[in-house]
Amino acid sequence: MILVCGGLADGVTELVCARLEDCGYPYRLLDFARFPAGYRFHVRWTDGGPAGWIATDEWHLDLDDISGVYARLLGTDDRAPLPGLDPADASALRTEADLGLMALLEDIACPVVNRIGGGLSNNSKPYQSIVIRRAGLGVPPTLVTSDPDAVRAFQAEHGDVIYKSASGVRSIVRRVGEEQLARLDRLRDGPAQFQAFVPGRNVRVHTVGASVFATAIESDAVDYRYAHLDGLTTRLTPVELPASVNEACLRLAQACDLLFAGIDLKETPSGEFVCFEVNPCPGFLYYERHTGQPISTALAELLRGPTTDFSPHAFTTDKEHVPWPSA
Amino acid sequence: MFLLVGHSNDSCCQDVRARLAAQDLDARIVDSPLAPPARLTWRLDARGLTSSLYPHLPDSAIDGVLVRDTGWLDPAAWEEDDFAYMQAELRAVMLAWLNGLKCPVINRPDASQWYRSGVPLVAWRRQLRSAGLKLPEVVITSEPEEAAAFRRRLEADGNDGAVYAPLTNASSYLLADDDAWTGLASVQAHIAVCLTQAHGPTALACVVRDDVIWNGVPPSYAPAIEPALRRFAAAAALTFVEIAIAPVRGEPTVVLVEPRPRLERYREPARTRIVAALVAALTRVTAADAPLVPS
Repeated sequence: MILVCGGLADGVTELVCARLEDCGYPYRLLDFARFPAGYRFHVRWTDGGPAGWIATDEWHLDLDDISGVYARLLGTDDRAPLPGLDPADASALRTEADLGLMALLEDIACPVVNRIGGGLSNNSKPYQSIVIRRAGLGVPPTLVTSDPDAVRAFQAEHGDVIYKSASGVRSIVRRVGEEQLARLDRLRDGPAQFQAFVPGRNVRVHTVGASVFATAIESDAVDYRYAHLDGLTTRLTPVELPASVNEACLRLAQACDLLFAGIDLKETPSGEFVCFEVNPCPGFLYYERHTGQPISTALAELLRGPTTDFSPHAFTTDKEHVPWPSA
Repeated sequence: MFLLVGHSNDSCCQDVRARLAAQDLDARIVDSPLAPPARLTWRLDARGLTSSLYPHLPDSAIDGVLVRDTGWLDPAAWEEDDFAYMQAELRAVMLAWLNGLKCPVINRPDASQWYRSGVPLVAWRRQLRSAGLKLPEVVITSEPEEAAAFRRRLEADGNDGAVYAPLTNASSYLLADDDAWTGLASVQAHIAVCLTQAHGPTALACVVRDDVIWNGVPPSYAPAIEPALRRFAAAAALTFVEIAIAPVRGEPTVVLVEPRPRLERYREPARTRIVAALVAALTRVTAADAPLVPS
């Protein structure tokens, strides 16, 4: 039995559930929009891993029967208030309930897409750049600075420069222009992240276990995710990447302890690949709908049952020497 | 120069600075490392990683960093939304900067540690278990019947009782009588609660690299448990960590893990030994101190 933790109002979770139904793989939905209201939960740790169950009025699921977990958190606004409580108490109780569930997902032996710990590198883009480099992928020339002169020098060196948030706070990637240069003195309040603009073709890679799905994106927008805001269009096409790039993407997902990852690459005109970031909770719906790539099917197969050891960090104790498990 | 990232009144920062000073080594306590006079430039490209935090002091001149805090930002200086954004940005930048330094960084954080400081003991269970350490029974349950069964098991084992230990903070409440259990059931009407076993007096140990330093006379089981404590610290990539151990069911059991130990909890000579071990670790570069990415 597969456990899906998410909200059906979220298109990605809805797709995962629909694919599991298509495949005939039984699942239970823990609806984050309502959780913890309506759910009963019992987990016991003694000398080993967790044992116990999760239940609603309609179903009862023993932890031992779970073959895989798909978890996609919802924002606070997407979650219903807990009935009969004032908002502050409800918020505190829901946080407590979420942490209980996370404690379980961190330690349960089956595949979990994804455990919380690995995905936290996405909260620091420059830190993640270091991890990306270590996995063997190039990164765009990156400057994080609170020094206006350093930005000017960086721009003089690279010409076209973009800026974006260093943290996990989502930001639209923008080019540095006259308007931004006029405001560089504000950097003294805190550093910002700048990158050399890398020309070429955007490629989104989804790794699912040991499978790799690459999608080329053709767009005139600096940030293709927001092309529509500028009246621009985007075209997505499945592509095959060089084996060395595929392997590096798998190493990167492994280094981040992610069974499922969305990796943003760019292929330069000279055929090099640089990596921008790793998304631990990829919204792959957009890519699958446009290309027909069987990402959700691969995910369903992964969640259906382990063919190898997917226990937490089983393959990350020594990230450089432990082989990636076969699918 | 050594950088001690933490509040100026942090006793660990103070003691380490004093000991470094006694060795004629310069150390600076900074609570907001990215604030002026710092002027960070951090560059990563095909040539490698270079960084400089202070205008007239290259990072290569920083000999070691003790990390006691993620960096402080004055909320009074910011609008609420801007403050949250800036705090996230500064933490993100600090994590990257610390991981690029070539000098010893104690503890050099990974993203999981950096963004989950103060995690409850249950979050360390897997690594503690793998290191061969015993752990108390923990139950997270929404079921009053299961809580009652836990209570009965403890009573049958002659245990001191159960403790309600919320996962969202460090507080814990001994469930001493029937009223306490009734109150717990009212919480369970909304969420699952985390229960664990009460324990007797704790023995406090600090692992600093390979040294295990006990607060007071080491317990009789110290020689047997110290290798496991070192294994845990190494697996968790913690050069400096405090572990509290208490007898549960007659066995030494880990009841607390604290990656930012507070020196106030230690008596002499343990406190002096901890500081000496920290200074030794800060001033000695080994393979374990290698940054995430070589330049």
